[in-house]
Amino acid sequence: MKPSDIDALIIDDPANHVFKVHADVYRSEEIFELEMKYIFEGNWMFVGLEAQVPKPHDFITTTIGRQNVIVSRDKDGQVHGLINACRHRGALICHTSVGNAKTHVCPYHAWAYDSAGKNVGITTREQGHYTEEFDADDHGLRPIPRFESYRGFLFGSLNPDVQPLEDFLGDMKVMIDLVVDQSAEGIEMIPGTVNYTYNGNWKMQIENSADLYHFMPTHSTFVQILNNRSSNDDVTDSPYRNRAESGVTRGSMCFKNGHNLMFGGGDKVEARPLYIDRDKVESRVGETQYKWMLYTRNAMFFPNMQLLENASLQIRINRAVSANRTDITTLCIAPKGESAEAREVRIRQYEEFFNPSGLATPDDTSIFEDMQDGQRAGMIDFNHGYLRGMQDVNTEPIPEAKELGMSPDLSIVGPLGLGDETILHGPLREWRDRLMQCLAKDQDSAGGRQVAAQ
Amino acid sequence: MSSSDTTAEITELLVREGMLLDEQRWEDWLALYTDQTEYWVPSWKSEYEPTDDPHGEISLIYLTSKTRLAERIQRIRSGKSAASLVIPRTVHTISNILVEDAKDDEAIVRCSAVTHMFDPKRRQEQQSFCRYQMKLVKESGGWKIAAKKIILINDNLPTKLEFYML
Repeated sequence: MKPSDIDALIIDDPANHVFKVHADVYRSEEIFELEMKYIFEGNWMFVGLEAQVPKPHDFITTTIGRQNVIVSRDKDGQVHGLINACRHRGALICHTSVGNAKTHVCPYHAWAYDSAGKNVGITTREQGHYTEEFDADDHGLRPIPRFESYRGFLFGSLNPDVQPLEDFLGDMKVMIDLVVDQSAEGIEMIPGTVNYTYNGNWKMQIENSADLYHFMPTHSTFVQILNNRSSNDDVTDSPYRNRAESGVTRGSMCFKNGHNLMFGGGDKVEARPLYIDRDKVESRVGETQYKWMLYTRNAMFFPNMQLLENASLQIRINRAVSANRTDITTLCIAPKGESAEAREVRIRQYEEFFNPSGLATPDDTSIFEDMQDGQRAGMIDFNHGYLRGMQDVNTEPIPEAKELGMSPDLSIVGPLGLGDETILHGPLREWRDRLMQCLAKDQDSAGGRQVAAQ
Repeated sequence: MSSSDTTAEITELLVREGMLLDEQRWEDWLALYTDQTEYWVPSWKSEYEPTDDPHGEISLIYLTSKTRLAERIQRIRSGKSAASLVIPRTVHTISNILVEDAKDDEAIVRCSAVTHMFDPKRRQEQQSFCRYQMKLVKESGGWKIAAKKIILINDNLPTKLEFYML
């Protein structure tokens, strides 16, 4: 595949208000292989939270692309990102998704590693008659080439030459701040992980959460259930119950490196857990930050993480398995020290809205499979679902971006009914540009090798 | 009442519940529950540990009233939920019934449940396998479900999980 083949998949002509995306972007296994190499295994990926490994020797396991990795806190409290493979023959050394272990012992030949990844035992080393060359090697677990934290949000990259994490995140750091600052003590993960899977492309999930247009048609049964509940019902309230549909600020922003944000007021703030604890939050963080903490914020960290605060607060991690299959893991996070009342509201809202066993998410995931099925064959080429908001989108930041000190490449405000789709342009442009640049670079170096060989 | 009578009554209730779900007679199914029933499907904290505190940990489903289950029936029947286009056919197989404690008007029971599902839209088969832990009470002469905890063993959910799949 050549860079021009990728370029041809997105017809991007802002001057003439054209943005069309070819269905191959969502269904081609050949393209998926490029995504795996250049995006998932070539860029920064979210791997977890420091809050998931709060104590010495706590660990979690996850993946970066196809690579199994471990996040482990050592005895001194430092968090390490390690490749989950024994240096002897490459077997997995860590077998559970979460745990606590001072030592990880490979079950094959019993090589042992401490919680910092250092090799602390090579079985019958003396009898092995090893050479000096072997003794000079480091037999510790390989570190993830780049592994950094921004305020407890852990990112890793298999590519040692990736840009600094702070540059990669850019203005998205503000979205992390708006979560971490909800408590002076920081955040914690509420125990219980939810896993689900769908036979559809990974981009469908990250696009769906930015898509305000789908909410009323897709989730009408959810909204109807909420509105039918009487206010003296014993059930937990929801921000989506009897919400305001006019006279409120809603909008979206696209940032560098493919990240985006859908935001809005108007959802009933009285139903938010943070509103219940407002006295101790607002005075600490100030009016603007508090207003934004109560806004709906669907923030997408390209390519594999979403930080979603609408009904409760979720981290959703996607793992692309193939062009047609995506695994999802979700975590519910909360400010430490919140009241028991707020915690109960947070948990019930999370389950009801975000869970695949709830009243909203299963409609989305079922539609992802319908989308994958509908555009399986060639009759569907360029889809028409990327143009709402095209006339109104701004390349100068909107005031809502400026008040948080953010500089999005694209931004727009509008009523609920606008259902902006320009929010999808940023991630798709990043996707295209990154694949094209990486392909061009690899072809140049392959050409260089051929010249050298001659 | 002899213990074998109680066990027979409870067995009939459990088997009837599965049958009503399979026949999509969901209103009749709901009538087996008390008004303030607790319907609870924990999530998992690790490979070995389901969550055990619905007020401090995440559940897949946690409901404390029959009304919440009725909402789900309405949602599925509305024809407006993509997750129910098409509703899978199911067969519940209830087994390993163990009446742990039985008084005249209250019983604690455990059993295993396997639900086989067929999605006619995609011609795909799927199973869920669960352990039920239930508290039953006698109301106007018949057993009702006052609490049902469903430990879902295979929790990597393909797009959705709804009560008729459990």
